[in-house]
Amino acid sequence: MENSTITVIAIILAAILMFVFPLMTLSDTSDDVSQLTVQTATSEFVDNIKKTGKLTEENYGKFIEEISATGNAYDVELKAKILDENIAKKSDKVSKDKIGENQSYDVYTTQILDVLEKDHVYTLKEGDTISVSVKNTNTTISQQLKNFLYKVTGNNSYQITADASGMVTTNGN
Amino acid sequence: MKLQNLAIIFIVIMLPISIVLSAYTRNQIKTLNLQTSYDSKLVNSTYDAVKAFQINTLSNTSSDVASSKMRDIKASANVFFDSVANSFGLSGYNADTIKNYVPALVYTLYDGYYIYSPYTNNLGEDITLYNNSTYQNGQTVQGLKPYVYYSCRYIKGNIDVVITYTLDNYITVQGKVGENYVNKSGYLLDNIDITNDIVKYRNVEIEKENIQERVIIDDDESKKTAIYPYVQLNGVKYYLENDEKIFSVVNGEKMYLSNNLAEKYRNDYFNDDNDSAINYYKKAKEFTDWVRDNLGDLKYSDAKNENGESITDSDGKSVNGLYGNTLIFKKQDGKSIEDEDSNFNEHRIAVIRYAIQKNLSIAIANFNDYSNSNNEFQMPNLSETDWYRIIHHPSLISFLQGLAIGGKMYNGYAVITNDKTQEVVSEDSIFIVNGDQYSRVNEKGLNDKEDLIGYFNVDFEKKLYRINDENYYCYPHDELGSYSSIVNQTSVESYTSIYDYLSDKPDLAKAYYTALGRERYGMYRVNYDNYINN
Repeated sequence: MENSTITVIAIILAAILMFVFPLMTLSDTSDDVSQLTVQTATSEFVDNIKKTGKLTEENYGKFIEEISATGNAYDVELKAKILDENIAKKSDKVSKDKIGENQSYDVYTTQILDVLEKDHVYTLKEGDTISVSVKNTNTTISQQLKNFLYKVTGNNSYQITADASGMVTTNGN
Repeated sequence: MKLQNLAIIFIVIMLPISIVLSAYTRNQIKTLNLQTSYDSKLVNSTYDAVKAFQINTLSNTSSDVASSKMRDIKASANVFFDSVANSFGLSGYNADTIKNYVPALVYTLYDGYYIYSPYTNNLGEDITLYNNSTYQNGQTVQGLKPYVYYSCRYIKGNIDVVITYTLDNYITVQGKVGENYVNKSGYLLDNIDITNDIVKYRNVEIEKENIQERVIIDDDESKKTAIYPYVQLNGVKYYLENDEKIFSVVNGEKMYLSNNLAEKYRNDYFNDDNDSAINYYKKAKEFTDWVRDNLGDLKYSDAKNENGESITDSDGKSVNGLYGNTLIFKKQDGKSIEDEDSNFNEHRIAVIRYAIQKNLSIAIANFNDYSNSNNEFQMPNLSETDWYRIIHHPSLISFLQGLAIGGKMYNGYAVITNDKTQEVVSEDSIFIVNGDQYSRVNEKGLNDKEDLIGYFNVDFEKKLYRINDENYYCYPHDELGSYSSIVNQTSVESYTSIYDYLSDKPDLAKAYYTALGRERYGMYRVNYDNYINN
């Protein structure tokens, strides 16, 4: 009797060791690869906006396609800080285009996407800032396995994240 | 014992060990990843700040003037904090929090540097100030500390002078030489030969030249552009319009000179081709001779601190380049004073480095009084490559310390150089125009081309014009960047010294030396001796 109990325990342990662990490692690696792909795509996407001064529907579509190719669902947040004239400026000799001295207002994902849908391009100018952050919204296999073994993941946990931001250096039009 | 039992005992022992070990390594990897990602974020933000500074100064014609420059720098610092807050946003930091972790931003410029860090506002004894000032007494303010020059005091015999060094060979001497008070500045150059009014530099004759660039004319609705001859005096370009009127462009707007002044400028500068380059070499020779005659005996060890004591580092040890019996300005056999490894340049670099290090380490250490974080702020060791970049270009050094990144505290810095600036005409900032394209000096085969003329790299950037409150941009030069040396660097020769590189390329050398002289001669100077007061 004692023998068979130990055998059962041994089999369970062996199964965990032989199947679950390799699976976890494998899925972890696949998440790492996705992470890298998403980070690279995000940086490229932002760099392109910085250099050209515009966000085109085509580029946005390509970016979404690229990150979706990793097999996960993502939440993409766009934020543009638009440089505006400082209403409290002290002198009228002050250039209204000075970067860093004037005020800016923020434009967020839905507003940008609305413009994209209508005009197919969102134009930025010198000194505006664009930031993009990406998080996965589905639960990846690696997360599922981890949840099965130890439940530390809360409500807001995501495995794959990427962000990039920067100042636009050309006037797009 | 049975085999199963052994196996289970083995697993029971090994499993926790391997789990703990793997968790530990994962943590280490996470820390490293986080550190790299913070490094790149810091570099990006610093780059943004430099880029903003570039764009602001290039479209601001008065950016040479100290007050205007300070505004540009403050604006650039704002961009830095905005950018840092933006890129660290996902990590949960905002701009105000991040200020607790940035002990200092250092803007190194042509002849000194600014430190942007918090300080305590001190209004002193004067009570009237208390009601009128923006900041209260004792309030902590983020801002620029006073400008620190790359200068050094020298005491020897009857000489007691302060010499201010710059990123190139330009120095300013102020103080007492013998019984006379002097305030002189100029370039130190060897190899200039002047006979019968013919100026030769390194055996290349420097001649007058015809230079011109494109400007927007706002007379009609079409915003046409036209090419005008110009002369640059003390940082301002004056253009000759229709052989009659003379105008300059101030912050995007055209300003005409009064008729009297225009006539004077026409006679002085536009009767003949541009002779700025010739004047540059003549003045440099005059100044170098004066320095050698009067300050030729100064040695490294005559460099003193402001109290007249020998210079030592914080441990009381001598500072490399600031002790010993080497004569600073003496002509060396087989070497010119403008060579990178001349005694003068070694000393100059030592002074600049000492000036930055000394104040910066104090500023960073003082930051402990202002920050809410528990980190002990210390100046990190800057690598030699970074020092090289700082000493040769105006740059921005940013520090970020004390953010927790798993196993340890983050302690990083970033150095970004600003190579498109009117601050300094460095040796690699001259581009050579030939035909319809412009190239770097070291592009292969450039010497065999004809009609070479050099211009400052900033002049190939677009300039801002403001007409009826609308912005227009115009490129001063029509030429396009060469694919083999500007866009890509596929066909360039490497060199250690530009002077050696040019020694067997007479045509290229002529274009290069002329442009270098002309652009340096036209730079903004605080003590500009030709200044016409009108």
